[in-house]
Amino acid sequence: MICVTVELWMWLSKELSGDFEALSEMRSKRKEEIEEGKTVQQLLDQLARRYSPVARDVFDLQEKRVYPHVVVNYNDRVISPHIVHDQVVRGGDKITILPMYMGG
Amino acid sequence: MDIGGYLGKMLRVDLSSGKTFVEELNESFVETWVGGVGFGARYLYDEVPAGVEWSDPKNRLIWTSGPLAGSGVSGAGTFNVTSKGPMTNLAGASQANGFFGAYLKFSGYDGIIFQGKASDWVYLWVKDGRAEIRDARHLVGTDIWEMEDRLRKDLGVKEKEVSVYGIGPAGENGVLYSAIVGDRGHLAAHNGLGAVMGSKKLKAVVVYRGQRAFEIKDPNRLKEKNEAMFEHAKTFGPFYQWGTGGGFSALYGIGCLPVKNCTTNIFPEHERMNGQYMRTHFEVRPMPCYMCRVAHVKEVTVTEGPYKGFVGEEPEYEQLAAWGPQIGNTDLGAVVMLTREVDRLGMDCNESSWTIGWVMECCDKGVLSKKDLDGLDLKWGNVEEVRSLLNKIAQREGIGDLLSQGVMRASQKIGGEAAQWAVYTQKGASPRSHDHRGGRWAELFDTCVTNTSTLESTWAGVHTQLVDLPTVSDPFSHEEMSTTNAKFNGIRQFDDCLGTCRIASTHPKLQLECLNAVTGWNLSLEDAFTIGRRVINQLRVFNFRHGLTKDMERPSKRYGSVPVDGPAAGKNIMEKWDWMLENYYTLMGWDPKTGKPLPDTLTKLGLQDLIKDL
Repeated sequence: MICVTVELWMWLSKELSGDFEALSEMRSKRKEEIEEGKTVQQLLDQLARRYSPVARDVFDLQEKRVYPHVVVNYNDRVISPHIVHDQVVRGGDKITILPMYMGG
Repeated sequence: MDIGGYLGKMLRVDLSSGKTFVEELNESFVETWVGGVGFGARYLYDEVPAGVEWSDPKNRLIWTSGPLAGSGVSGAGTFNVTSKGPMTNLAGASQANGFFGAYLKFSGYDGIIFQGKASDWVYLWVKDGRAEIRDARHLVGTDIWEMEDRLRKDLGVKEKEVSVYGIGPAGENGVLYSAIVGDRGHLAAHNGLGAVMGSKKLKAVVVYRGQRAFEIKDPNRLKEKNEAMFEHAKTFGPFYQWGTGGGFSALYGIGCLPVKNCTTNIFPEHERMNGQYMRTHFEVRPMPCYMCRVAHVKEVTVTEGPYKGFVGEEPEYEQLAAWGPQIGNTDLGAVVMLTREVDRLGMDCNESSWTIGWVMECCDKGVLSKKDLDGLDLKWGNVEEVRSLLNKIAQREGIGDLLSQGVMRASQKIGGEAAQWAVYTQKGASPRSHDHRGGRWAELFDTCVTNTSTLESTWAGVHTQLVDLPTVSDPFSHEEMSTTNAKFNGIRQFDDCLGTCRIASTHPKLQLECLNAVTGWNLSLEDAFTIGRRVINQLRVFNFRHGLTKDMERPSKRYGSVPVDGPAAGKNIMEKWDWMLENYYTLMGWDPKTGKPLPDTLTKLGLQDLIKDL
């Protein structure tokens, strides 16, 4: 098993309190263990199965992909959803989930 | 005219002769151009030939409502202003919300065309079909708020009895990025339309909440679809709960906050400056636009920091970015203060901030000194000195005269290495207050190829599924981004024909259903795209007649540079710029070598009469 950091900027700190560390109302963080060789897609699938807010707001369990209104950063870099899904995670990686935002 | 949603009349105001005229709209024109920017684009083309410059009395300033304005659709108080604008010296079109779009129709008109130039300052008064050009000399020098207060007092009317839009000192003094401002903080801000208004010596326009009515063909269907649209808007992004500032931190997360004139993308203070922080820490009161249930517009009282007690309009996202990270400021209260200041003076916050941020970088790097800046100390984050500089710009006093021309012209004048640091497009205007080099390449490209000086085609590649297009999978793909922009192009310009606020009308198909209910039409989504593309091509042919070239559809060196840090570090949009342009032009039906619309494209859009002009 390896350990990665998952940080959600999804205003889920209250809903996920106890399981995620609340960095602020917006940001919550968790160290997650996952089998070696798994991808970001499998990591998010694992989290969505365990936490219903993640299934509701981040990862579509039926379609097996992130929702269109979500952006995923891998080690603090924006990467595309396709690459996100295929990316094999390594110990110490950081995955950040952000809301996609239109307008401004 | 048997179409719901229209009064069927345009008011023409000849400021040179002091006379007003009423012109009838015909059905064919209305069906072709719909309203808003559609009407504006065609009138501008027909009445402003090549060789007429933005400040020429022959230029037109066209204010247009739309068929949904005043219909009861949520947030339908929007109007559009079209003209040849000074920043690009090409077409400009900009929308403002509030009440004006609805009240103009209740006063008897679908739009107003201003032409000529008054011999001295005037304002236009419109009520129930009557229009009078009145003396405005007593209003000269007033800021936007003073102007609104004075006019309401002079006319003996209560706050919501009239809608007032006008220009502040910046517009009077010919600052090139002056805005048209009204209804307590709403702006038609892009491409210096306030400067055009000032060049005509037109200080303000007052329209009453009059008694004129228009037909709504299917009120029950409208009610049903409007309700569905409201339900969609409530859950669409953060707007309903947190306003446009609700996306501030998310934009930081993808490298899209402009920080210190795009010299970095690191801004850890973002969580103390976003919409959520403001609405949970400041005192907030709703200030909804005409019949708007989404009501994202608020007034705030600052509750902490040096500006505690300051009251102002709640900054929108662009103002948060413009007066926060872009100028190195980390105090949210100061953002409220500077937002009020720039609105009060009547200037576009985007161009103002890109200009001042560039000055600050020049100071930081020793190119400009306090002596060059009339004694002002423009260190990053020095907000009181920014306030002073804004006032100098509005008065075109000292260094403010150079900076009143915008950042492209100012940086070219200073020259040297500093000329490479300014953020603008080669057409002459600055982008909105994003760092588009992050995960917003779609908007960077759109800002450069636009025909109005502001965003024309995209929702940043987001939510394309709402119009049955695939979602963007890679925000840094040159191929995917330029293709998506071309395919998406049209629906936003169609939207800008209607007289509604985009934040309240977030679902294009439901919005179209509302339009059909009001007008009695049966337009499809494809029809809506076609109308929008007609507007784009109409504006584009206007621009080619007025000097547009392919070379102008590029970012400045800094705007197109590679981010040095943050989530988009190393991403280079420019490595395939020419390929993107040619791909986009081809998909738009334009000549890939020149960007000019091809005859076949114009013919398919019913614009064959323009072919001879290219």
